[in-house]
Amino acid sequence: MKVLTRIGFWLLVAAIGLFSIFPFYYAVISSLRSGADLFSVAYLPERLDFSNYVAVFERQPFGTNIVNSVIVAASVVALSLALGITAAYAFGRIRFRGRSLLLMTILAVSMFPQVAVLSGMFELIRSFGLYNTLPGLILANLMLTLPFTVWVLTTFMRELPKEIEEAAFVDGATPWIVVRRIFLPLMMPAAVTTGLLAFIVAWNEFLFALTFTLTNERRTVPPAIALMSGSTAYELPWGTIMAASVIVTLPIIALVLVFQRKIVAGLTAGAVKG
Amino acid sequence: MADVVLKNVRKSFGRAHVIHGVDLAIGDGEFIVFVGPSGCGKSTLLRLIAGLEDITSGDLFIGGERVNDLAPAKRGIAMVFQSYALYPHMNVYDNMAFGLEMAKSSKAEIDAKVRAAARMLQIETLLDRKPRQLSGGQRQRVAIGRAIVRDPKVFLFDEPLSNLDAALRVQTRIEIAKLHTDTRATMIYVTHDQVEAMTLADRIVVLNAGRIEQVGTPLDLYHRPANLFVAGFIGSPQMNFIPCTVAEAGQDGIEARLPDGGTVTVPVSSEGVRAGAAVTLGIRPDHVRLSGQGTLTGRIELVEELGENHLLYVNVGRERHLTVREPGDARHEVGQEVGLSLDGGFCHLFRETGEALPLLKPAGFPTSRPSAASTSIA
Amino acid sequence: MSGAALQASAPARETMRGGRSSLTRSRVRAAWIFIAPTLIVLILIAGWPLARTIWFSFTDASLNSLADYQFIGFENYVANYDGEWFGLLTDPDWWHSVWNTVWFTAISVSIETVLGTIVALILNASFPGRGIMRAVILIPWAIPTVVSARMWNWMLHDQFGVINDMLLRLGLIAAPITWTASPDTALWTVVMVDVWKTTPFMALLILAALQMLPGDIYEAAKVDGVHPVKVFFRVTLPLIKPALLVAVIFRALDALRVFDLIYVLTANSRDTMSMSVFARQQLVDFQEVGLGSAASTLIFLIIALLVVITMVAGQVRLSGEVR
Repeated sequence: MKVLTRIGFWLLVAAIGLFSIFPFYYAVISSLRSGADLFSVAYLPERLDFSNYVAVFERQPFGTNIVNSVIVAASVVALSLALGITAAYAFGRIRFRGRSLLLMTILAVSMFPQVAVLSGMFELIRSFGLYNTLPGLILANLMLTLPFTVWVLTTFMRELPKEIEEAAFVDGATPWIVVRRIFLPLMMPAAVTTGLLAFIVAWNEFLFALTFTLTNERRTVPPAIALMSGSTAYELPWGTIMAASVIVTLPIIALVLVFQRKIVAGLTAGAVKG
Repeated sequence: MADVVLKNVRKSFGRAHVIHGVDLAIGDGEFIVFVGPSGCGKSTLLRLIAGLEDITSGDLFIGGERVNDLAPAKRGIAMVFQSYALYPHMNVYDNMAFGLEMAKSSKAEIDAKVRAAARMLQIETLLDRKPRQLSGGQRQRVAIGRAIVRDPKVFLFDEPLSNLDAALRVQTRIEIAKLHTDTRATMIYVTHDQVEAMTLADRIVVLNAGRIEQVGTPLDLYHRPANLFVAGFIGSPQMNFIPCTVAEAGQDGIEARLPDGGTVTVPVSSEGVRAGAAVTLGIRPDHVRLSGQGTLTGRIELVEELGENHLLYVNVGRERHLTVREPGDARHEVGQEVGLSLDGGFCHLFRETGEALPLLKPAGFPTSRPSAASTSIA
Repeated sequence: MSGAALQASAPARETMRGGRSSLTRSRVRAAWIFIAPTLIVLILIAGWPLARTIWFSFTDASLNSLADYQFIGFENYVANYDGEWFGLLTDPDWWHSVWNTVWFTAISVSIETVLGTIVALILNASFPGRGIMRAVILIPWAIPTVVSARMWNWMLHDQFGVINDMLLRLGLIAAPITWTASPDTALWTVVMVDVWKTTPFMALLILAALQMLPGDIYEAAKVDGVHPVKVFFRVTLPLIKPALLVAVIFRALDALRVFDLIYVLTANSRDTMSMSVFARQQLVDFQEVGLGSAASTLIFLIIALLVVITMVAGQVRLSGEVR
């Protein structure tokens, strides 16, 4: 009986692991096959054929798409954290009238359906002359990342001891210096966690990127992959698509594996405590 | 150096009134200790002086200047926190230098002051360490060092020893006393530990429920408590209290009748006291004597042998107990019947309101133990 | 919180007269200065666009002439011309998308909650390789939705897909299934991919709740000889219920706005169209900004209603945190 339970347990673990990894594994295998090979199913890699990886950069501006994604995601992270940490200090450590209401409102924004602001955002971006530009996307993405950045950082900020801040005031620090010299260093781990989450959100964002860009050179990776097509609508270049998918997923998987604990901490701080 | 004066200082958090009109004048260079049970407002009072909390009404003067509206850093104070509150990401040197840096002192000046303070506190070898690499005692020194380098007019200590173990606590206490001797700065120190209060203070301020109960030198509070609260709070073990009635109020004192009928004449002013009034008699365990035929009789219920002396808990009937401190060489057994004599000269009388009746003897309450011959009152 | 705010106002007035300590004053001033940039950005990129979207829903604006529109009242929602009803509320396609979204949300969140709990329970047991497993299940969550939709698109390909191949080899099906194209299977396929992608998120939230439980209750149950299954339903489940509820609500709010997955997996197919896909199709593909905004506004209202309910329910807990 005991042995059976153990076997069952390990089978379950194996099934979960397999289920989690298989699609990515299959994408890797498919990306290494090309031409007619693709039209037969294979479960193991036969030979390493990197032609799809070459094609993805030659047939379209995929390199530019990646650079675009990096610029957008990095800017969104930097802006969210810069705005978020100062706001979190105010929300987490200072008593003032209307604090709770404001915090609730900001949390509510993070639950906005993206499509609800789509036409208004489209008008805004066009009136700023930012249609089909990266700054336009950065601005739009802030709507998705800023509220939860503020929220998660506020939760972390509340956990820092009050006396350290008071000691700094006695030492003559202004609120701004307290944020910059005392809380910013102490918040570094929390900022890394929140920044990672914001990065993943911005890196994966699709609806805004699809709607607010027009030309392939200005697209970020998600719409570029979604809109990849072959010579006819019915002949999708699956090998190339899989190669592109693997390319953009690898850095994210690396991030997740390295920062697994931090990401989980951020997710639970944002969700369970929220 | 500066004096600190509080005039009718009040503090409320919303509807909760925490400090009720405190008046206090602290002299330049004085070491003042705030004591009181937890929640009495002693820490709040310290934080009001520091500027970490707003004063709801009243005035606070430091060095003659009204500082109600001044930021903490501009009040010429330095504070040592209970949790030390060291900046975790800065090394010891930077922790101590931070305040000077904020005051825009020159690099050379900062370096000189930090090193001087480090030498004084013997933490020169720790300057490159982060707080987490230090022991509790070392952190405490850094916290004090951080206060010293600011060269404050007033040092504020918020229960600075409560996170240290017993041995370290005594050692640090001595160092703080030495710091006071060396700097002659005004010091205000909050604690709930009366040993710290008695040993460190020039004057002690006893607080209870947001009010000052009494201000005075340690011995003043011990020998002339102004009321029941102070009498019960200062001194360990606690003073014994016995409810009595006034048998006779005369020129030389008051004759108090004990519940069991015996009487004790206490040399206190009888002004405004009439025979038959209810009073409380207080006597410290040190001053209760065992004797053959005492004012009271009772049975020993518990003996705590502390070495240099013993504490006897004597049941005197009606669920009442008296604590008696006896020399450590005496032998006593549980269950033993003993007589207790109360020397009126060592007793205190308190009105029903808790207020102490003033002692008649003009100067000094006797501090030595009474000799056996002069004790018992027949 | 409102109680605390009321309490704070009394001394605030008093201190105004006596002059506030400059520390509190400078901190409150700093608070507003620190919050201002975030507020301005959010008003600009969330508040204003939302207000404009709602406004557009009462106009006949079109995408290529956004500045040139007329106010038409509720005609985008419902209108009557010559006895015939028009407008969003009479559009069967809209109602179909609402139904699809609700169905998708209910089914996928239910499956994710159950599977997530199972995975969390497994990861909560101590076994060699637990850390690796925890990282491994995060992979589906981290892969961009568009990418995972495309990966599954390929795996579910009706002729060359690996899923059909596996099922054929195992003899579970006789002929290849057109997963994403057939009306019978399309929505289930979307649910399956969503379950694959989102179960890890649920599992991690539940795992976090499980790890906060004190270990001694399990030891006590073990000593008492209670069957593990009974322990789960009688002890564990009630204890993690609050966290589970929060996770479910968050997921449901997320699922109600689903766009990327459905858009990439099945394009603008009517069988799987969600509310968000419908609204974007009106807005962008048909250039009907007025009608699309009306749909967007309705989606916003539905989700806002749920958020308000959630927040009112959660408020008590939040106010406890305020220092």
